[in-house]
Amino acid sequence: MASLGQFIRERREALRRTDPSYSLRRVAERVGLEPSYLSKIERDLVPPPSEAALVRLAGELRVETDVLLAMAGKVSSDLKEVIRKRPVLFGQLIRELKDLPDHAILRLVREVRDGDW
Amino acid sequence: MIELMHDALIFSFPGVHAEAVMRVELQRTLRIPDDGRDYPLPPGLGRFPLRHVDDFAARVPERWLRHGGVMLPMYQSEALWLRFVSVYDYPFVLKIGTGKINAVTGDAWSDGVCRDPQDYVVVPAQPWLDGYAVEKGVIRQFVAMPLGSGYSVEEQITGAAEHGGIQLVAHPMKAGAWERLKRKVYHLAESGVAYAAVAAPAAAYDMGLAPGGRMRQEIYEDPYRFEDWDFSHRSRCFVHIANSLVWRAITGENPPTVPPTAKEYTDAGLPWFEYYAEDLAALEGAEKLAGLKSVAQLGEQKGDVPLPENEPVTPERVIALRRDLATHEVRQGDF
Repeated sequence: MASLGQFIRERREALRRTDPSYSLRRVAERVGLEPSYLSKIERDLVPPPSEAALVRLAGELRVETDVLLAMAGKVSSDLKEVIRKRPVLFGQLIRELKDLPDHAILRLVREVRDGDW
Repeated sequence: MIELMHDALIFSFPGVHAEAVMRVELQRTLRIPDDGRDYPLPPGLGRFPLRHVDDFAARVPERWLRHGGVMLPMYQSEALWLRFVSVYDYPFVLKIGTGKINAVTGDAWSDGVCRDPQDYVVVPAQPWLDGYAVEKGVIRQFVAMPLGSGYSVEEQITGAAEHGGIQLVAHPMKAGAWERLKRKVYHLAESGVAYAAVAAPAAAYDMGLAPGGRMRQEIYEDPYRFEDWDFSHRSRCFVHIANSLVWRAITGENPPTVPPTAKEYTDAGLPWFEYYAEDLAALEGAEKLAGLKSVAQLGEQKGDVPLPENEPVTPERVIALRRDLATHEVRQGDF
């Protein structure tokens, strides 16, 4: 299982094979990080960067934001906000669904309620 | 089961057949002139926004919550049509009411289904419904008026302004009958022009549908055997019509802008439509509905002007859509 740094580097290098604008320097520039800092991130020499930086990196490298955040040991703050607003409801829901296989959680169906008329 | 997705109602019956899936859309459109002339089919201008009433429980009338269902916004004198898409061509019986009056027969709403006289449409044989069945091959367009103003079909027939909105009940074909039928598949190409619109006027919460201008449209006879329908499975939905002027207060969202007039649309050279399905028989109109006054007629009687901009229009560009007898595909012709 790749570390955050390895994941970022492998993805960037894969894109660079067909597009030279994915060099370390150019990507660092576009996401607003110092190239030396991005290099350290890719070599796992520093702790993961901020959520904002990770969101920009995910966009640049065209990977799922939530996946990159998870690899960095973080959860997207919008998800945290959803749970914080109704902690019992969502806490229960997530715990109940946590062991279901992928295909069983494909979609939550919300039905149109029919009442009395 | 009914789901609300992308402003459409998706009816499905997983307990009957995986292919028993039908989409019902409520489409915005032009109001055709209510002047006694017969008009071809106007275009679809996109779906009305559709929301669960439960999502705005604190802001909608208590009555709506009792009914359950969904809601959409319409301006006074705006028109609407219903579009039916059977995703796998699976057949359905669909009953449609407005203000709990059946739009095909003018009879009081019942949850049961009547074969003769037929009080339902069959999907996908029936691709759309633009209004009330007043004569064979002619409907009067669904036009929104404030509930309580006296114009709606419900008020003209019952004298009361109790329900408003649109009622839908669907039954699928029996799975066995569908499997036998599957060899013959009818394809229906979609029509309807996407077009952006502009401009608005007074506010009761509830709207009801009233009979507007005359349009050439047939309601097709059920081509299947009555015993092939599965009446033990049913899905129902109450679609409330909110006055667009209160939509923002209810949902916090802006309602769609006012659609173009028939004249603006036609002057812009945009097309109208005619649809022919020669292999299907059409129902006679309902006397109860033919006997009602259209919005313009009733307005004249009351001394109101409920339909601003009602001048006649001559659609010159009309695209013919035809259900092809040989290949069962819809093809376009120009005339």
